[in-house]
Amino acid sequence: MSAIIVDNISKKFRIPHEKKTTVFQNIVGLIKRQFSYEEFWALKDISFEVNKGEALGIIGRNGSGKSTLLKIMAKVLYPDSGSVTMNGKVASFLQLGVGFQPELTARENVYLYSSILGLGRKQVDKAYDDILDFAELKKFENMKLKSFSSGMSVRLAFSTAIYTFPNTLLLDEVLAVGDEAFQKKCRDRMDRFKAEGKTIVLVSHNLIAVKEMCQRTMLLNEGRIVTMGDTEKVIDDYLAMLKGK
Amino acid sequence: MVTIVSKMWQYRELIWNLTATDLKNRYQNTALGFFWSLLSPLLLALVLYFIFRHLWGHEQDFAINLMVGIMAWRFFANGTSLSLRAIVGNSSLVTRVYIPRQILVLSNVLANLISSLLEFVVLLPILLILLGYLPVTVLLYPLIHAIYFWFIYGAGLIMSSLFVYFRDLNQIWQVVTQVLFFCSPIIYPLSIIPDYLMAYYRLNPVTQFIIMYRDVMIAGKLPSLFSIVLTIGFSIVAYLVGSLVFSKLQRRFAEEM
Repeated sequence: MSAIIVDNISKKFRIPHEKKTTVFQNIVGLIKRQFSYEEFWALKDISFEVNKGEALGIIGRNGSGKSTLLKIMAKVLYPDSGSVTMNGKVASFLQLGVGFQPELTARENVYLYSSILGLGRKQVDKAYDDILDFAELKKFENMKLKSFSSGMSVRLAFSTAIYTFPNTLLLDEVLAVGDEAFQKKCRDRMDRFKAEGKTIVLVSHNLIAVKEMCQRTMLLNEGRIVTMGDTEKVIDDYLAMLKGK
Repeated sequence: MVTIVSKMWQYRELIWNLTATDLKNRYQNTALGFFWSLLSPLLLALVLYFIFRHLWGHEQDFAINLMVGIMAWRFFANGTSLSLRAIVGNSSLVTRVYIPRQILVLSNVLANLISSLLEFVVLLPILLILLGYLPVTVLLYPLIHAIYFWFIYGAGLIMSSLFVYFRDLNQIWQVVTQVLFFCSPIIYPLSIIPDYLMAYYRLNPVTQFIIMYRDVMIAGKLPSLFSIVLTIGFSIVAYLVGSLVFSKLQRRFAEEM
């Protein structure tokens, strides 16, 4: 069964020659008839499927459309054509700690962040102690987030995020969190996710992480799929492509 | 439309959390924070009272009409000017995660609703002192406030989505609200409006709401059917137009921020 079906997606960005952000500029532009913009296809005719329980890596150079693709799957961006079908509960981590409020305590932030990720209060109540234990921040639960170090708040965000129990995870370079010991914990957690049959899509420049986690990988270049298949082989293709340029 | 309502229901905890966060940030997590925020409308009422007392000296209960007017006005002015930033001010919640984006506007206006309900609670004893009694019709206040809330929410949907594309809208809106302030019967009685202008004057939604608040809170009479129908009409139109504009414009929010 497919957890994700991406059907013939294209996405075009408009790059105006002159960016108009105010009413005044728009009126001036209307009078002078300057509404020209260039079209840039960030993604063109992308189709693929991800099976349930599979981990798919997406690699490619900067600007190849990886993040745009992930954002469309996360429903943050809308495609200009084509459709995405996601089965089951999806958690997208394009960035950790979205919506964190520096003026609130760690505890309040856990509840706020969980509700952003679509978790109910009762579920958070149950997982709350585990979240703080995993983040190793139990002592600081009533401290305001503004006095946390960046490493602490990222750990808190990651721990909260993994306790939302999604069926599908969309990850954008978020695995590089905390020190070596914490990273090991995160990797173990990801292995457990995979063992539990969850679907993972990982966008990363870290080829070692991709090799470790994903059976299948997709190589994107200039908005199109170059190859897709066995991770080792696709990474070799990618390295060859980088050398060729 | 139905789907968006059911989606919002799924996210009810988030709506409440964002509303609470908004209020906590606004009042800096202190109980006194709220009372500081009351200072500005009370001071405004006081100043206006001293200035206009002699001008409208013949008008009974000028002070009390002024306060009810300012309370009603503040919900509109703060509600629209703060919800204007609901999307742009929460860019990470728009570009980094999926939530129905109407939630950001809704929780912003809800936080304002709570502020204005607190102001109403403070206003009650003042009413009692100045009037000597509380009219029974005060009980209709929640009904009027609910209609007003939907009107402001609709306006907030329009403003917040347009602000993403037109970043000088806040300055334009500031001027517009200033003009509207003087086009509403806050610092002067409705009776000074000449008859031939009245038909247009009453088309101002804020005017209708102020008239209704004064009816139930001071005069102790039921609001006219005309006002009720008109305000409900305003609210429905604002909400429908707002939802339509918002759902059209929100598709490119993440690209425009």
